Amino acid sequence: MARVATGRAHDLVGATLWSVVQSGSIIVVLIGWELLARSGLFTAFLLPTLSSVLARVVEDATSGLLFFDLAVTLYRAVLGFAIAAVAGIALGILIARIPAIHWLFDPIVSIGFPMPKVAFLPVFMLWFGVYDFSKISMIVFNAIFPVIAATVAGTQGVDKHLVWSARSLGAKPGEILREIILPAALPQILTGLQVALPTALIVAIVTEIIMGGDGLGASMIRASRYADSPGVFAGIVEIAAAGWLVIKGVEWLRRRLLVWHQETQGLATM
Amino acid sequence: MTEGAGNGAAAIRVEEVSHQYLPARGRPVLALDRVSLEVREREFLALLGPSGCGKSTLLYLIGGFLPIGAGRIEVGGRAVTEPGPDRGIVFQHFALFPWKTVRENVMYGLAKQGLAKDEQARRAQEFIDLVKLTGFEDSYPAQLSGGMKQRAALARTLAIDPQILLMDEPFGALDAQTRILMQEELLSIWQRRRKTVVFVTHDVQEAVYLAERVAVMSARPGRIKEIVDCRFSLSGPALFKSPEFVERVDHVWNLVRGEAIAAQGGSA
Repeated sequence: MARVATGRAHDLVGATLWSVVQSGSIIVVLIGWELLARSGLFTAFLLPTLSSVLARVVEDATSGLLFFDLAVTLYRAVLGFAIAAVAGIALGILIARIPAIHWLFDPIVSIGFPMPKVAFLPVFMLWFGVYDFSKISMIVFNAIFPVIAATVAGTQGVDKHLVWSARSLGAKPGEILREIILPAALPQILTGLQVALPTALIVAIVTEIIMGGDGLGASMIRASRYADSPGVFAGIVEIAAAGWLVIKGVEWLRRRLLVWHQETQGLATM
Repeated sequence: MTEGAGNGAAAIRVEEVSHQYLPARGRPVLALDRVSLEVREREFLALLGPSGCGKSTLLYLIGGFLPIGAGRIEVGGRAVTEPGPDRGIVFQHFALFPWKTVRENVMYGLAKQGLAKDEQARRAQEFIDLVKLTGFEDSYPAQLSGGMKQRAALARTLAIDPQILLMDEPFGALDAQTRILMQEELLSIWQRRRKTVVFVTHDVQEAVYLAERVAVMSARPGRIKEIVDCRFSLSGPALFKSPEFVERVDHVWNLVRGEAIAAQGGSA
C-alpha cells in the first residue's frame, strides 16, 4: 500500500515537473520579457514589464471590463463560427452529392479557400457598416471555407464498402447520408471545424481593431490610441489566453466525439 | 464435404453478364465477358482467379452493388436490381462501422428489420457468441485484431439471416494461423446453418478446401474457365494430406497458373 501511495505521489510530482518542462520555452520567454523590460534598454512605453501588464490584466478582471470584452468577442466569434459550421457542412454535403451544385461552387471554393479574405473587410464596411452584422458576416465569410473543404473531402472519401454494407443490411438509400456518411466523415469535418474556430477568433479581433465597438480587439486599439502601453500588452496576453482556452475546449470536444477513433484509442493506452 | 452439392435448385442464376468500368482516364475496361453461372441452393461455391479477373466484380453484381450493364442476374427467381438483406456480404477489409461498438454493429441490421430493442440485443448476443467474440461486445473495431474484426463482420451479416452469403476474400487480410482458424469456423457455421455461400478468393488451397465446387475464372476479361467439383470423402485437417485433395489442388492450380501468368503480362 505504502509503495503504491508513494508511487502515485511520485507520478504526480513527475507529471507536474513534466508539464513545467514542456511549457519551459514559454516560461523562458516570459522571464526574458521581464528582465529585458527591467534592464533599462527600453522605455516602459515601448516595453512595459510583464508584472505591470499582468497587474493590468488583474485590474481589468476585477473591474469586470475583461469579462465584458471577452464576452463580446467570444459572442461574435462563436456565433460566426456556428453559422459557418452549419452552413459549411450543409453546403459541403450538397457540393459533394449534387453535380450541378458541385459545378457551381467548386471553382469558387478553390479560389476562395486560399485567398486572404480579410481583404474584403473594406467592402463589408461599405455594404454592412461597422456593427455586429458586418463583423459576424466577415467572420462567417472567413470561417466557412475550411468547413466546406473538409466536408466535401470527408464525405467523398467515405469507403464505399461501408455504404454497401449498410445497404445490404437493409438501410434505405435515404438513410445512408445520416447513418453512414456523416459519422464516417466526422473526423475530417471536425478537423475543418478546428481550423475554422481559431479563424473565427482571429477575424473577430481584426474586425474589432478596425471597426471598434467593444471587444478585446477594440479595447486594444483604444489603449493604443491613448498611448496606454500596458493596456495594449494586456490585450495580447488576454487574447492569447482566450485563444488557448478555445483550442483546448475544441480538442476536448473532439476526444469526446471520437472515442471510437484510432487516434483516441492511442491516447487512451498511452 | 460429404453432403451433396445443394439440393439442385438454383439460388443464383447469372446469365450472359458482361461488365465494363470506366477508369478516371483512358478507355473503358471489359471486366466480365458474357459470364454465365448457376449457384445451387445451400451450396458452397468458390470463385477463383488471378487478381483483376473480375471475380469480385461478379460478386458485387450479384450483391446488387454495381449496375448490371448487359445480361441478367436472378436471385431466388427475381432479377437483382439493388442490394438487399437476402444477400449478406462480408468484405476483405471488414467494413465495420468504426463509430459503433461490436454490439451496435451487429444490431444495425436487426434494427432495420424492425425488431424490438431487447430482441435486437438478444439476437446480437447470440451471434456474437456464435463467432466467439463474447466479452468484446462493447469494444470498438479499432480495439480489435484483424481476425476479431472479421468475426464481428461475420456476426453482423449472419444476424440478419440472409439466405445467401457473399464473401469477398474475407480471410485475405488475416495472418496464416488466423486464416486457418477462421476457415474451420466458417465451415462449422456453414454446416450448422446451411446457407448458399459464394466465396471469392485467389488462394487455390483455400478454395479447394472450403468449397463444394470451384469456378475457375480466366484473366481479364473474366470468363468462367472451368468448374471443378471439390467434394471429398474426408474432412478436417486429415484432408490436407490425402492424395485426392493434393491431386485436386494440383489440377486447379494448373488451371489458374496459366491465367495468373496471362494476368502478369504473359512474360513468365
